Amino acid sequence: MSAVLDQHGHAIHDTHGHHRTGIMRWLTTTNHKDIGTLYLWFSFTMFFIGGLLALGIRAELFMPGMQVWNPEFFNQLTTMHGIIMVFGAIMPAFVGFANWQIPMMIGAPDMAFARMNNWSFWLLPAAALLLIISFFVPGGATAAGWTLYAPLSTQMGPGQDLAIFALHIMGASSIMGSINIIVTVLNMRAPGMTLMKMPLFVWTWLITAYLLIAVMPVLAGAITMVLTDRHFGTSFFNAAGGGDPVMFQHIFWFFGHPEVYIMILPAFGIISQVIPAFARKPLFGYSSMVYATASIAILSFIVWAHHMFTVGMPAAGVLFFMYATILIAVPTGVKVFNWVATMWKGSMTFETPMLFAIGFLFVFSIGGFTGLILAIAPIDIQFQDTYYVVAHFHYVLVAGSLFAMFAGTYFWIPKWTGVMYNEKLGKWHFWLSMIFFNITFFPMHFLGMAGMPRRIPDYAPQFADYNMIASIGAFGFGLTQLLFLYIVLQCVRRKGEKAPDRPWEGADTLEWTHLPSPAPYHSFEEPPVVR
Amino acid sequence: MSKNARTALILASIVAAFFFGVILKYWLLGS
Repeated sequence: MSAVLDQHGHAIHDTHGHHRTGIMRWLTTTNHKDIGTLYLWFSFTMFFIGGLLALGIRAELFMPGMQVWNPEFFNQLTTMHGIIMVFGAIMPAFVGFANWQIPMMIGAPDMAFARMNNWSFWLLPAAALLLIISFFVPGGATAAGWTLYAPLSTQMGPGQDLAIFALHIMGASSIMGSINIIVTVLNMRAPGMTLMKMPLFVWTWLITAYLLIAVMPVLAGAITMVLTDRHFGTSFFNAAGGGDPVMFQHIFWFFGHPEVYIMILPAFGIISQVIPAFARKPLFGYSSMVYATASIAILSFIVWAHHMFTVGMPAAGVLFFMYATILIAVPTGVKVFNWVATMWKGSMTFETPMLFAIGFLFVFSIGGFTGLILAIAPIDIQFQDTYYVVAHFHYVLVAGSLFAMFAGTYFWIPKWTGVMYNEKLGKWHFWLSMIFFNITFFPMHFLGMAGMPRRIPDYAPQFADYNMIASIGAFGFGLTQLLFLYIVLQCVRRKGEKAPDRPWEGADTLEWTHLPSPAPYHSFEEPPVVR
Repeated sequence: MSKNARTALILASIVAAFFFGVILKYWLLGS
């Protein structure tokens, strides 16, 4: 039995808390909190696998010359690192946050389609298994880059087929998850919870889910065409048969650029929950945050060709994609301004979630600015496929997405487990992550500007010093994440101070004001009334 | 049909339109 607080603060008892135990609980669960937990542990595992591949890359690049791997396997490492981190780690992690938080934040008892929710999750381990098995088939895993550009992807061995199959499965999982999220948010909000009263995290996920609905089928279509080119004699992307390999790039990036925002908008949502809670002020410019998020999502559909300025396109096309890309800085700037304005004259404290949120602001902004630099076509043509691009997107995806996930985990783990994390170790985790992250990726800007190409296993001696620094940073960053694992496990094992129902006095969303810590297995069976 | 099922069907039809649309476009009209 667990207790739920109604809107007047009185305890009401949950008599429906019976559920299976052991492995069957996790295999058959339809509970949004269980499924959220499964998503989070799955993505955490994939972060470690993808991280090990990254360390394989950095070990080879520690010094010039070929040390550890052969060039073919190095290409497999870079490709699989990208695919695993994007599709296996970042995306499922945010779906995990969505599963845990969205029903609790809108006062719903669960997700709209609870059984489909279970199916959405359990597709993922199967897809991950295919990706891992692909290393062991003849020719190894795909080495076409995470972008799977034709004609490389039309020529690779069976590892490519496994990757395509895995992406189809992960795409199906994402689409089902998105449908579930949209239906839940649109149809299952508590009475009084109007759209413009929803917490920003819910808003950002609603918009992200629409993006997923629009672009995942396009990726699925593109890789289906690669599959038919490979095995069924079509020539969508085969120039010899009248096809066009550049067309693959256009279709891929029509998916790929919104995908970048799929990986960052939920991060914006988390930061928009954390900063007001620790500044003890309402979020500055709530409605402008909603419109900025929607603007970023809409603009993301008309900027795709900035990824391919060097393939050759009319000057008018270059100018259009350049200016459209630069335009995205406006709504992004609105968001950064609002976060800073929320902190302005706030009664701030700096617990670990807030440290990660402020850290996010600094390092994500660096990634945003280098994005602006890369949007300028004449500069981009110089920087195309150099380490400057690698530095840019890691500032967005590690310092942006991952740091926001850390902020969100520390913020909500008292509600999830009923135990406060170790604040001292949390702060160590933040500072070590911040320092090692910058040691790893900041030198890559200089490497890129000096002309070092990405996706190469060996390099000229003048790049040696910065590569050695980056590799040291990468191993430090990887080891630091073991500390995060330890902190989370301590909470999961209930080792630590008991969490109050509302440990952060500035947090005012329903999960803090209406539910105890830990959140009961079933919550909001009677919807709260939001005023 | 419930409101949830109706919303889901609309979304699923958008997914199907994008998936088959992108393939049919290049199949029938070429690149």
